[in-house]
Amino acid sequence: MLVFDHVSKRYPNGYDALSDVSFTVEAGAFVFLTGPSGAGKSTLLKMINGVERSSRGQVHVAGQNISRLPARKIPGLRQGIGVVFQNHQLLFDRRVYDNVALPLFIAGMKPAEIGRRVRAALSKVGLTGREGDWPETLSGGEQQRVGIARAVVHRPPILLADEPTGNLDPDLSREIMSLFLQFSQLGVTVLIATHDLELVESMPARRLQLQDGRIRAE
Amino acid sequence: MNESATGSGAHLRQINRTDRLKAWSRHHRQLFRSTLITLLNQPGALLITWLVIGIALSLPILLSLALREISEADTRQVIQPAMSVYLSVPSESETAQALLKRLRASSAVGEVRLITEQAALAEFSSLAGFGDVLNAFSENPLPGIIEVVPRERDGAGIKLLAQQIAGQDGVDQVSFDAAWLERLSAILGILERVLYALGVLFSGAVILIIGNTLRLTIENQRGEIEITKLFGGSDSFVQRPFIYRGFWLGFGGALLAFFIIQSSLLYLSGPVERLAQSYRSNFALEALNFGESIGLFALGALLGILGSWVSVWRYLKQIQPK
Repeated sequence: MLVFDHVSKRYPNGYDALSDVSFTVEAGAFVFLTGPSGAGKSTLLKMINGVERSSRGQVHVAGQNISRLPARKIPGLRQGIGVVFQNHQLLFDRRVYDNVALPLFIAGMKPAEIGRRVRAALSKVGLTGREGDWPETLSGGEQQRVGIARAVVHRPPILLADEPTGNLDPDLSREIMSLFLQFSQLGVTVLIATHDLELVESMPARRLQLQDGRIRAE
Repeated sequence: MNESATGSGAHLRQINRTDRLKAWSRHHRQLFRSTLITLLNQPGALLITWLVIGIALSLPILLSLALREISEADTRQVIQPAMSVYLSVPSESETAQALLKRLRASSAVGEVRLITEQAALAEFSSLAGFGDVLNAFSENPLPGIIEVVPRERDGAGIKLLAQQIAGQDGVDQVSFDAAWLERLSAILGILERVLYALGVLFSGAVILIIGNTLRLTIENQRGEIEITKLFGGSDSFVQRPFIYRGFWLGFGGALLAFFIIQSSLLYLSGPVERLAQSYRSNFALEALNFGESIGLFALGALLGILGSWVSVWRYLKQIQPK
């Protein structure tokens, strides 16, 4: 599903975020991306959804070489990838419903179908009946779960999460991680960047360890 | 790895063309309503923008209406460019009568009126103080006059006609106020150009106003735009709401311009009519008719869309998720 082939990324200021990174992730796999901050975890995730481009090497996503993808095809690529952020990036001037519905709205789905899917996604993350709430009235854990609902509502084959439990306490973190595990069991390829080693070790998952832009261990 | 099995891969799913077209038109329908509702949620800011656009649109249009009326009004009536043909022969003479006949037959001539020596004398002596002067003459010193109203309105054309008539037998001289007419048409020509320039300038101003308003909106929605792009919203998908906002700003501005124009004309109509009557003219400022009003609304909407397009497109492209 994901293939990194000798990928390097050098930023215009000369900083090498990734150096000669190669790995393959099978469809439906559940993979942790670990390493200290600054190791290149975020950069690696951003190369999967076309936010960053590789300076050298090729990135293949679902059989598509996205290092050579023209700009007009980037939206199509992104529509197949769900993203979860550390600060969840909800739109605070929109209700929970509209936040979760965004990917479906972009896909041009019918309003009735959007309603059905949004409610299904919210019930999956344990927020049934909260679609009319404003994000700021929710707790941090609830906000993160809204972010997750938004990331999976359009049933993307790939789910990327950048420090999804960064601001949450251990119990909540475990809860969120088990949600991700469920999605991978449904066939979604899940890639999670985190520096929460304790949590990673408690879960049966493959680990890609990054340091200074290189893969140190699997 | 089953990459080949998933075909085009991470594409969400294969949406066929009909569905995509339906989604596209649904998005447009939604935006048509939702952008107006969003704008109406800030009535103060909206009204000010509409007013600015309305004033910018109404100024050149008001001027052009006035100019149109001036150039279309019966200028002959307003300034009476009738020429007086002074006869060198008695008005009963055969030469004078032949001249009169030729003038009446000429296609360049509208009206012809003969003022005989006696009629001229009668008119002249009726003016206070001149009676005594005329008594000093033993016979009538006044020549016969033929008054000619040319069909031609253009100053140069009238001048040509005057020269033709002056060359004919029995004509002493032809007098008319040619300079006035020439000046008027020259002034109208200048005004017309000034008006075109103003129209272009004010249209440009409207485009800039709308573009700038939308830029501020974009700045406020930067986060939303980034998230939308991150979830696969294309540049044109992100741009679409701003196109509709531009449309509403321009259209609403044109609506206000319509009211500004009509009420200004109403306000001016009284004094203008009095002035026109003093010239024995039926000159009047006419309000915008149905077609012109539709044209005004279309112009406003078009400028709005244009303003959104030219200023927003590049700017939106620069906003990329980080």
